Amino acid sequence: MEDLILELKKKIIESLNLEEMTPDDINADDALFGDGLGLDSIDALELIVLMEKDYGIKLASPAEGKAIFKSIRTIAEYVSNHRTK
Amino acid sequence: MNSNIVITGEGIVCAVGLDKQQVLQSLQHKHTGIGVMKHLRSTHLELPVGEVPLSNDEMRNELGITDSYSNRTSLMGMLAVKQALADAGIDKQTVGKNNLRIVLVSGTTVAGMDITERFFDSLKTSNEHLACVKNHSCGRTTRMIADYFGLFDEYTTISTACSSAANALILGANMLKAGQCDMVIAGGCEALSIFHLNGFNSLMILDHEQCRPFDNNRAGLNLGEGAAFVVLEREESATKRGAEIHAYLRGYGNACDAFHQTASSENGEGAYRAMTEALQMAGLEPTDIQYVNAHGTGTPNNDMSESIALQRVFGNMMPKVSSTKSFTGHTTSASGCIETVICLLAMHHHFVPANLGFTTPMNNGIVPTMGEVDYDLRNVVCNSFGFGGNDTSLVLSLSRNDELEINNNEHLSVKELARVEITSEDELAEIRDYVKPLEARRMGKIMKSSLLSSLKALRKAGVEQPDAIITGTALGCLENSEQLLCQMTEEGEVMLKPTYFMQSTHNTIGSNIAIRLGCHGYNITYTQDEASLKWALRDAELLLRGGKCKTVLVGCHDETTPMYRELLHRMGEQEQSVIKSTSIVLTCGE
Repeated sequence: MEDLILELKKKIIESLNLEEMTPDDINADDALFGDGLGLDSIDALELIVLMEKDYGIKLASPAEGKAIFKSIRTIAEYVSNHRTK
Repeated sequence: MNSNIVITGEGIVCAVGLDKQQVLQSLQHKHTGIGVMKHLRSTHLELPVGEVPLSNDEMRNELGITDSYSNRTSLMGMLAVKQALADAGIDKQTVGKNNLRIVLVSGTTVAGMDITERFFDSLKTSNEHLACVKNHSCGRTTRMIADYFGLFDEYTTISTACSSAANALILGANMLKAGQCDMVIAGGCEALSIFHLNGFNSLMILDHEQCRPFDNNRAGLNLGEGAAFVVLEREESATKRGAEIHAYLRGYGNACDAFHQTASSENGEGAYRAMTEALQMAGLEPTDIQYVNAHGTGTPNNDMSESIALQRVFGNMMPKVSSTKSFTGHTTSASGCIETVICLLAMHHHFVPANLGFTTPMNNGIVPTMGEVDYDLRNVVCNSFGFGGNDTSLVLSLSRNDELEINNNEHLSVKELARVEITSEDELAEIRDYVKPLEARRMGKIMKSSLLSSLKALRKAGVEQPDAIITGTALGCLENSEQLLCQMTEEGEVMLKPTYFMQSTHNTIGSNIAIRLGCHGYNITYTQDEASLKWALRDAELLLRGGKCKTVLVGCHDETTPMYRELLHRMGEQEQSVIKSTSIVLTCGE
């Protein structure tokens, strides 16, 4: 799980273009949206694209992503249970 | 001087009809034009669209045009302008006899993308289709329409995404009020393209079924296409030439939601301000309005936000409301004028258009009408809201505003308080002094240079927040558009990167500045090739002399990419720099 968490942090930094951030700057349990890291609806869409492209997970709507994208850890848990690649 | 602005002619082509009569029939018989795509060559056959039922060749034949690079947007625009001119009784003879100064103001965003996306891949290696590059820009599309008629003294293009056409009507009215011309043909045109169909798909806001605006189970919008133009005149000159007055453009408001590039705020602030301002100019109370043609795209976000804004304006005296996008699809840049023409048809034929697809009310949302017959409409509101929160409302009426106040302080001089230019990429590092890295995560070169030069100019001028933001750009966020095209050619019509798409509309630049400053004032974007800055400055002067603003931030911003610079070289065109931004703060005084 820790490997997947690190992998996700790197991928998210890259796909959301979080300039000057390193995996160490993001706590796996911190909220990604709202008062946490401060991501928005476009970032959520970028995460949906990432899920599909890298892990073969198709989400039908941003609403479905809401619970999954709470933190890096919740994403990691979802990915390890549902990945098809 | 009675400077009420009147409409004396209309032209329309959209999914429910190729002229006013056909559109009227479809509206009255509740026939939607949304269905399976026939002309767009997309692989997304599962997505319903509202197509104009003509091929490009059929349109070229009808217009007598042979240029195979003439894009669909311009062809539809020509058809609609032609109808509008005929409807108002305008031809070369009338223009010559009355010495009329006519201006064409068109709203578009997609412009030549339908042709560019077809030849994009080949442009990398071959010169065969190089001719399509010049026809790509929004400004060029308007120029093609103007050249076709040879009637216009001037022409310009407004690109504020889905409110473009409505804003074209505002500029036209302001130019007429200031006496800068005698007649304006204003409206918008937008063809479907694979580019923006996939772009909207990447934002996950396309309904895979017929759209259901204001329904609790709404799941997004259906894209449409079309064009509509109206003939605007001062009432006195229309009367003088014996023209029939179809309606009054009695009020209008343009405000910025200043919230997010692709989402509307929860309290509908921009929409509320636009409607309030339009009613105020019209000299009307909310209770004077019998019908609102809503923006009503069918996305969960828009319809909720617009409902709140409507409730804030109309309280418990809600007029009839419907979204006719359930007939036409969302015709994006053209929608403001297509829906204006629909409002006029409804007023003249005493009915209220239906909001098709509605069955279940939303929680706390407005309840749209399923259509009314024998219903008198004297004053209506037409809403158009664009990405970046560029929100516009028009008030159309069968009667004039006798108390119309026009400030036209020609004697006032417009003064430049500050000017900042950015001409190289190295200067962009300074953005760090103003914006945190996280906030700049999606900003490309042009977004950084436009924001940086604006913030520096405002600081230099000692202005915290301008009353209006007016932007000029020839090609907008070229790099993001190119990246999306590259991704589409390499990977096909898959889930594309939403970041590329959301920054492909020209008004992203001005909205980004407004969001940063929390500026809800007038916000508009001109895209007329090398004349973009000239038009932005001209509008700023109209606003300042009209007493609507004390300070205006005007900017002109463009970027190039290695591919575009190579294309320019191959076309034998002048070199252009990687980045160029000019930001100017203007004020007005004795």
